[in-house]
Amino acid sequence: MAIMTIALPKGRLLEPSVNLFRGLGYRCALGEGSRRLIGEEPTGDTRFILAKAEDIPVYVEYGAADMGIAGQDIVRESGRDVYEPLALGFGHCRLVVAGPAGLKGRDFRLASGLRIATKYQRLARDYFLSQGISVEIVRLYGSIELAPKVGLADLLVDVVETGRTLRENGLVVLQEIMPCQAALIVNRASHKLRLAQVSQLVAAIRRNIPVEG
Amino acid sequence: MDLGKAHLGRLPNGVKDLFGEAAARQVWAERTLEATFAGWGYSNVVTPTIEYYDNLALGVDSQVRGMTYRFFDREGHTLALRPDITVQIARLVGTKLFGEPLPLRLCYIANVFRYGELQSGQQREFTQAGLELIGVDTAEADAEVVTMSVVAFQALGLREFQVSLGQMAFFRALVAMGPLGPVGLARIQEAVNSKNLPALRQILREEGLNGEAGRALEALPSLCGGREVLAQARRLSPNQAAHIALDRLARVYDLLAVYGVADRVILDLGEVPGMDYYTGITFKGYARGLGFPLLSGGRYDDLISRFGTALPAVGFGLEVERCLFALGETGRPLSLPPHLVVGGVWGAPVLALVQELREKGLRVEMDVLGREERALAAYARERGARGTLISDGDGRLALVEPSGRRAITRETLLAEAMTWQS
Repeated sequence: MAIMTIALPKGRLLEPSVNLFRGLGYRCALGEGSRRLIGEEPTGDTRFILAKAEDIPVYVEYGAADMGIAGQDIVRESGRDVYEPLALGFGHCRLVVAGPAGLKGRDFRLASGLRIATKYQRLARDYFLSQGISVEIVRLYGSIELAPKVGLADLLVDVVETGRTLRENGLVVLQEIMPCQAALIVNRASHKLRLAQVSQLVAAIRRNIPVEG
Repeated sequence: MDLGKAHLGRLPNGVKDLFGEAAARQVWAERTLEATFAGWGYSNVVTPTIEYYDNLALGVDSQVRGMTYRFFDREGHTLALRPDITVQIARLVGTKLFGEPLPLRLCYIANVFRYGELQSGQQREFTQAGLELIGVDTAEADAEVVTMSVVAFQALGLREFQVSLGQMAFFRALVAMGPLGPVGLARIQEAVNSKNLPALRQILREEGLNGEAGRALEALPSLCGGREVLAQARRLSPNQAAHIALDRLARVYDLLAVYGVADRVILDLGEVPGMDYYTGITFKGYARGLGFPLLSGGRYDDLISRFGTALPAVGFGLEVERCLFALGETGRPLSLPPHLVVGGVWGAPVLALVQELREKGLRVEMDVLGREERALAAYARERGARGTLISDGDGRLALVEPSGRRAITRETLLAEAMTWQS
């Protein structure tokens, strides 16, 4: 039987993801200051790989990993064709439209040529299009809060956990697009070719989730 | 204007030249599939590369319509490069072949064009090999076509694959119970297709589907596995249509066991693709390590009628390049070495012998360089041949193998050669 590969995301979801698998008895020897990107279990039947959060859906869609953990925001944004059987009950955040407090309550349908700074191009475009608002998307890779402050964009679309970074930059949440949490995603072929193994693991993970969302 | 020169000698993104081993693999795969289909009584149809867009649009879903290359003829009609062959066959049968004795067994190997992302061996021009069994709506027809999908994979030498088999009629029976608009239906379909249980639960709540149909829909993502799935689904079936859909699926699954391919088939009632196309069973083929299906098919009883004559049909299309990609991944060598290289001094009797070997299915290469025995045997070894046959011009033959050289008669060679085919 070929080895099962599970992809975990760098960043804020890594620690709870590692804890999840350790709770199931895996060693999950990844990260923690080391630069190791691949950690094989002593049993030899499973290995964990560490990838950039945005890349997890790609690894899983292509079958480089049988399954992985990624934020729902990232799965939606990627548009990748994967199974998404579980919401994992951690990594809660919200995808929101934010901007200067002065814009609170504004009807954006009346605005023309709104510029939106975001790393969520697809989700931002779809959200505004679904309301009949045409916008210009400015794709940024980080420090999105900066864009409205320096006139690069009118608004931003990003995920927020507590909203502290927004507040510290004088911005407020204007609209919520969707709530997000971490999700388990599974490769379509792996699901068919190793059905028993995959369903067992999914069931075990499900039992370890406090409250399924 | 110098713009054109930047493209000189280059190809646009999404198309490619094939040569050497890659070309050999491609041609080999196409021929293998063609021979396999022919063996089950399917005859070739060849359809045009361009058609009126309106024809093609009748039989492909909105996603594929959005990926279709379109252009105009001189009269201003919209033409398109075919993005799919099944729709062309539906047109052909609906407008021309409807009077032929039924069932019709048609197959094709053809290039199609889609302006999409390049992924896993699939370019914007790619090859589909497929077949359609037209004019009958029986479990026997369904089972033959699903079996053919397994047989096609096996003919290509794929080892780690699974076909997942669903039943669109079951899904249709469930969603017909609720007051669903097209948007709600599409949301449910997407959540089921991605086995996204949390999202599915939420949508069912929002759409007010909380009765029997709701419970059955919620179970769809987990109705996946062997025969036991049928019993689970039966307990959840809310109406007669759902029972009929399951009866058909059970009958097909039984027949697949008779065909000896049931171990290659997983039942998955949560595969619910193409609402505007499939009416009965649907199936997809997956190979280990590739998240994209290598093959998809199903029963489409309403498509041919869009072109004039109502005829039920079931079929599949296989993505040749993706299969080759998957074969590469599993490391199976695809090159086809000759069984025998023949040289020395030869005339008509030797050629007659060679022809006889070829007719028995062996690959035989004639030396056309006049090489010495030693050089020819070295070449044969390099090509991976079983042996080298040397004719001395006086009717005597010698077979050079890795184990040594020996004289051999025509009859012994013919008998031995039969054991070389794998």
